Amino acid sequence: MTEMVTPAGPPAPDARAPRPPRARRRVPVRGPHQAVRPGARLGGPLAALPWALPAFAFVGVLLVYPFARSVYGSFFEDNGFTSEFTGLDNYARLADDPVFGRSLLNTLLWVAGTLLLPVLAGLVIAVATHRLRWGGAAQLVIVLPFAISGTATAALWYFMLSSDGAVNQALRAVGLDSWAQAWLLEWPQNTLALIVASTWQATGLNVVLFAIGLRALPRDTVEAAQLDGASGWRMFRHITLPHLRAVTVVVVGMAIVNSLKAFDMIWILTQGGPSRSSETLALTMYRETFRLFHVGYGSAIALVLSVVVVASSWLYLRRQMPDTGWAKA
Amino acid sequence: MGRTARHVFVAGCVALWLLPLYLLVVNALTPAADYRGEPDWTLQGFALADNVGTAWKEARIGDSFQASLLYATVCGLVAVLVAATAAFAVVVLPIPRPAFWFWLIYSGTLFPLQIFLAPLFGLYADTGLYDTRIGLMLVYVAWAVPFAFFLIRNQMTTMPPELTEAALIDGASFRRIFWRVHVPLLRAGLGAAFLFQFTAVWNDLLLGLTLSRSGDVQPVMASLATLRATYASSGPPVILAGALVVSVPTLVLFLLFRGLFLRGVTASVR
Repeated sequence: MTEMVTPAGPPAPDARAPRPPRARRRVPVRGPHQAVRPGARLGGPLAALPWALPAFAFVGVLLVYPFARSVYGSFFEDNGFTSEFTGLDNYARLADDPVFGRSLLNTLLWVAGTLLLPVLAGLVIAVATHRLRWGGAAQLVIVLPFAISGTATAALWYFMLSSDGAVNQALRAVGLDSWAQAWLLEWPQNTLALIVASTWQATGLNVVLFAIGLRALPRDTVEAAQLDGASGWRMFRHITLPHLRAVTVVVVGMAIVNSLKAFDMIWILTQGGPSRSSETLALTMYRETFRLFHVGYGSAIALVLSVVVVASSWLYLRRQMPDTGWAKA
Repeated sequence: MGRTARHVFVAGCVALWLLPLYLLVVNALTPAADYRGEPDWTLQGFALADNVGTAWKEARIGDSFQASLLYATVCGLVAVLVAATAAFAVVVLPIPRPAFWFWLIYSGTLFPLQIFLAPLFGLYADTGLYDTRIGLMLVYVAWAVPFAFFLIRNQMTTMPPELTEAALIDGASFRRIFWRVHVPLLRAGLGAAFLFQFTAVWNDLLLGLTLSRSGDVQPVMASLATLRATYASSGPPVILAGALVVSVPTLVLFLLFRGLFLRGVTASVR
């Protein structure tokens, strides 16, 4: 079938030589990759619909409808049995709910901690392993936890972090008895310990992404900079780092979104406790809805979380959009 | 960074990353009865089979393992097929307003699962899909389609339109063009999408926790959560053996298809 690649088709009507640079588009309109125009001989626009229908059915019924229903439900006081329209009351309640305040603070801690630990560690490790003889093997070890689920990672880290766990044992063994503590039982250590546990899992992916960026660093640029006498920190600061900007945007965007969505790790390690002190918005929503049956209130929290997630993914979404990041090839 | 410092730093990181894995394996091998309430740092025996057996039967990880294998394989395949045909419609065929359809499908990956959960639970309770295998499979497909669609669509836009035009001139139908031109050329991309969705479904906890309850329906991560919460008395060796055994499929896939695996994630960078 591949023989058909050779110049068969008629001269494409839009083959006028150098095209003026097009404005960047954020949305996929019918692009140059779309061969068939409406009215082509294989039927009108409706001919394409059956191809897309299964996807629309799945997404429409099981994602879009629940989404709309959640937004609608957030205006009701709903305990699972009776529901009553209360307008914006659920949102007003958020403002003076101390649990929600703590949850919001923890969510911010997660975002900040994720930017500080996995992203920074990912960059440093990627740079350190770049062009190292056994760098590939080292990267493989660090990316290995990425293939393990959040749940299994959490089961392992519970074993590490519980009061008679491996971390405290190790601290006592080296004489740092005063450092040993109930990592999961007090705020803010529990949230910080959880962030460290997720760093173990999440760093590998960032290493891989940064390594891809480093490999794309043109040799000429590096050599030119070396001729000009740049090395070490100056090279990193003025050549490597600017070159990694595109990757960094994606890594940071993904890190923020993933930290906002983090659920498995926290649920297994602390269930958001003790006394709801390590809950993030993702956990608070789950507990309010499925443990306390405050369905409307839970929906309001879910909506707040969604707004935050979508707003922060805009950062890297802009790049991912069709016909910007991809058309450049 | 000096050459030596660099080696030392990387070695330190590798050790730090390996240590939890080492403890996981060592303690999963400790006979549950011999566990002294403190983590073991050296090998104490070789009771992996017993520990896995306990987790497999008593905590019913075994049933869930089979269920999850079914969910991840079938839902991964169905989602890739559904996403590929939708991408074909949006990229290649003359569908009106492709941007609208793109956003409709793609929006599914943007939002956190929490926004879908409560209505899904209600919907499932009303239609009798709650705690059924078919119910979980439906929701997993719906959950997997958006990102698979995104990956496949990006791949498809890199294919020259002359391919489709040539095939049309030769008199091929859409169905034929899809199966004989696009699918063979996109094999790697489809494989990456499948691996990605298989892993996502296998690793899911939240949907399984919310939409199922009984042992032979619950996916494997939800069972592991139950094992950790209610069988804590059977001791860390059993729990760790459970964690180890549920990680095997994704670890094996990852080690076998590392390039393809990371392609899914790294697609967004290039």
